[in-house]
Amino acid sequence: MADAVTTAWTPRGSWAGILASGAFGAAGQPGITIEARDGLCIASLIAGDGHHQALAQALQGRIGLDLPVTPRIVSSTRHDLVWAGPDQWHLIATDRDGFDELLRDLAPLAAVSDQSDGRAALRLSGPKLRDALAKGCMLDLHPSVFPVGAAALTSIAYMGVHLWRIADDPESGDAVFEIMVARSMAGSFWSWLSASAAEFGCRVTATGRG
Amino acid sequence: MRITCPHCGARDVQEFTYLGDANPQRPEGMATTEAAMHDYVYQRDNPAGRHRELWYHGAGCHAWLVVTRDTRTHAIEAVDTANAIAKGDAA
Repeated sequence: MADAVTTAWTPRGSWAGILASGAFGAAGQPGITIEARDGLCIASLIAGDGHHQALAQALQGRIGLDLPVTPRIVSSTRHDLVWAGPDQWHLIATDRDGFDELLRDLAPLAAVSDQSDGRAALRLSGPKLRDALAKGCMLDLHPSVFPVGAAALTSIAYMGVHLWRIADDPESGDAVFEIMVARSMAGSFWSWLSASAAEFGCRVTATGRG
Repeated sequence: MRITCPHCGARDVQEFTYLGDANPQRPEGMATTEAAMHDYVYQRDNPAGRHRELWYHGAGCHAWLVVTRDTRTHAIEAVDTANAIAKGDAA
């Protein structure tokens, strides 16, 4: 006979138990700022054969963004569309409002898969950020070759990462990058990032989601 | 060695996995001879020089590429996506 319910399932943020708010590494002004991007709504879209144009039109109509056909990210206040391979994208929304309906309406045009709980993302900035990323990222992230809006799929310390550059921090003027990894890699990625960034001094903002 | 992925740009070779010769075409299984199938599965040239080969961009865009490379110098002459070649619209 089946037991009574023995497990209570509670939602858990992707950085819960990994990231803690505060400072670590070298003292003084932080060279790197790290912010957890928990609670994003993320879906992967793979255009169906011959449906690229229809998918682009549907997204333009629904969220006002053009599908990027090169490794780029395009953003509005509530949504991002980031290139994730040929005929593939990630649709990212900051809240759940209307997200399920949007995915349902896109389903006839694309293979749609909700990845909200499958990815872990960080927002990174600070004057020393590129120095830290250079320890593991083989790409040239210099502004002349990786401008605002650029995106890339690559690997860092043998982990697949999806990274892109968003608008510069309006206060400091520093470049701002976001890095997304498979959620199962969050702990390992943090192990690499925290070790690589410590010498520059880091300030961490976790969301506190359990 | 760096391979210029048509989607991602120039990337270090460690992002890619090598499959091998891109030229063999699989014979129609029910119609072909045992000898022809044996050749397709096992027989490969080992050229010193120009070679068309399949590479997989597993740590990037996950596309299969056809790379034309000189096996003596590693100089890469052309990179196309296997998809474009299959559709007949490679450069």
